[in-house]
Amino acid sequence: MKLYTGTGDRGKTSLFSGERVKKSIDRIEAYGEVDELNSVIGAVISFLPAGSRDVKRELLLIQSHLLHVGAWLATTDGSHAQQQLKTLDPGEIVNVETAIDRMQGRVPKLSNFILPGGHPSAAMAHVARTVCRRAERRVITLIHQEKLQVGDDHPNAHIITFLNRLSDYLFILARYLNHSESIDDALWSG
Amino acid sequence: MNITAPPMEEAKSYTARMTARRRLSAHTFEITMEYPDSFRFVAGHSIRIHYQDTYRHYSMVNDPDSRQLVLCVRLVQNGLLSPVLADCNMGTSFTISGPYGYFRFNPSPRHPVFVASGTGIAPFASMAHAGVEGFTLIHGVRYGEELYYRNQIESAAKAYVPCITQPSGHDSAIRESFHGRVTDYISRYLSPASYDFYLCGRREMLRDVTHLVDDRFPGSLVYTEIFF
Ligand SMILES: Cc1cc2nc3c(=O)[nH]c(=O)nc-3n(C[C@H](O)[C@H](O)[C@H](O)COP(=O)(O)OP(=O)(O)OC[C@H]3O[C@@H](n4cnc5c(N)ncnc54)[C@H](O)[C@@H]3O)c2cc1C
Repeated sequence: MKLYTGTGDRGKTSLFSGERVKKSIDRIEAYGEVDELNSVIGAVISFLPAGSRDVKRELLLIQSHLLHVGAWLATTDGSHAQQQLKTLDPGEIVNVETAIDRMQGRVPKLSNFILPGGHPSAAMAHVARTVCRRAERRVITLIHQEKLQVGDDHPNAHIITFLNRLSDYLFILARYLNHSESIDDALWSG
Repeated sequence: MNITAPPMEEAKSYTARMTARRRLSAHTFEITMEYPDSFRFVAGHSIRIHYQDTYRHYSMVNDPDSRQLVLCVRLVQNGLLSPVLADCNMGTSFTISGPYGYFRFNPSPRHPVFVASGTGIAPFASMAHAGVEGFTLIHGVRYGEELYYRNQIESAAKAYVPCITQPSGHDSAIRESFHGRVTDYISRYLSPASYDFYLCGRREMLRDVTHLVDDRFPGSLVYTEIFF
C-alpha cells in the first residue's frame, strides 16, 4: 500500500480524533517531538555495542510506549476516539526508575558535569536525552495552551512523568554505555 | 492519518473457512467465512487474510454479533489474493488475523456523513447492520449494479445518495441517482455545516473530499480508512 495520502499537502493534518488542524499547532509540535525522540532512540539502538541485549530490549519497549504516548498527544482530550487508546501504565514509570537505579549502581560517582560524548551509542543517548527534554517541554506547552486539567486520575497524567524519567534514564544510559566500553566520561574542567 | 497508532486490541491469528460466495456485480463478490468463537470485532474493523508470505486487509460487512465474517471483495485482474478468493473451492481454510484498525462510529452531536467509493461501502454496511442510523451516505461507483448493500443501508440512512460516474441506459438504478463523482455531489448539494465525515475507499477520493472539507465545512471531523 502506498504510504502517502495527499491530505496533508496544504499544511493541514488530521488528528486521531478527526479534527483537521494546522501542522504548526502545539499539539502537532508535541507529538512530532515524541516521534523524533523515538527515532533517536532507534539510532541509539543501532549504535549499541555487541552484548547489550538487555538494554536493547528495554529501549524497544520504551519505543513502543512512546508510540502510545504519540497517539495520546494526537487525540483531542475528551474526544470519543480517546476511548480507543491504551493508557500508559504507571508501572512503566517504575520500570524506568528501576533501570535508572540499576545502572546508577554500576557507574562511578560524578564529581562534576560531564561533556556529552564518548562511545557512539553513548553520544547518541545524550542526543536522545536532549530531544526527550524538548519533548517534555513541548508537552507541557500543549497542556498549558489547551488548559488541560491533567489531575492524577487523568489518562495523560503519567506522560510528563514518563518523559521526565526517560531523560534521566537516557543520561544514565549514556554513562553506563561509556563505562561498559571502558570509556571515561570527559569531565567539565570549568 | 499521519500517525501510526498502535492497535488497542491484540490482533491474533485464527483459521477461517469459506462457507459461501455470491456474485454482487461483474467484478465484485461476497464471501462468508466461519471462524472460532473467540474472535471479536466491532463494525469498521478489518482482518488480514494471510496468503503465501504476505496478506491483504478486508473490512467486515456484517453485524459483529452475527458470528460470521462477511466480506465484499473486488476482483482485481492479475491481483494476488482476490482471484484466489474468487476461485477457491468452497470449504477452503485461510489463516486470518485481526481485528485491525480504528475506523469505527463515534457518536457526536454533529451529523454523520459517510462517503464510500466502490467496496469502501463495507464498513458502513457493518455499522448499519450493527444499528447505526440517521446518517447521510454518499456512495460513489462506476455502474449502478455496484451499489452494494443498498437496501440494508438505505433503510438505516437519513439520506442515501448513490453517485454513478458511468450511468448506462440499461441501469435501473440511474433514475434516482446523482450522475458524477462524490466530490461533485458534496460541493454542489451538501449544505454548509460542521459534520463528522467518515471516508472509506480509494486514496484519491479521500484526499479530494478532505480538501473539500478543509475549504467548505470548517469545524468538521474527518475519519478515514484507505483501501488502496
Ligand atoms: C484496511 C483495508 C481494508 C480493505 N478492505 C477491503 C474490502 O473490504 N474489499 C476489497 O475488495 N478490498 C479491500 N481492501 C483492499 C485489499 O486489501 C486488497 O488490496 C485487494 O483485495 C487487492 O488484493 P490483490 O492481492 O488481489 O491485488 P494486488 O496484487 O495487491 O493489487 C493491488 C491493486 O489492486 C487495486 N485494488 C485494491 N483493492 C481494490 C478495491 N477494493 N477496488 C478496486 N481496486 C482495488 C489497486 O489498484 C491496488 O493497487 C482493503 C485494504 C485495506 C488497507
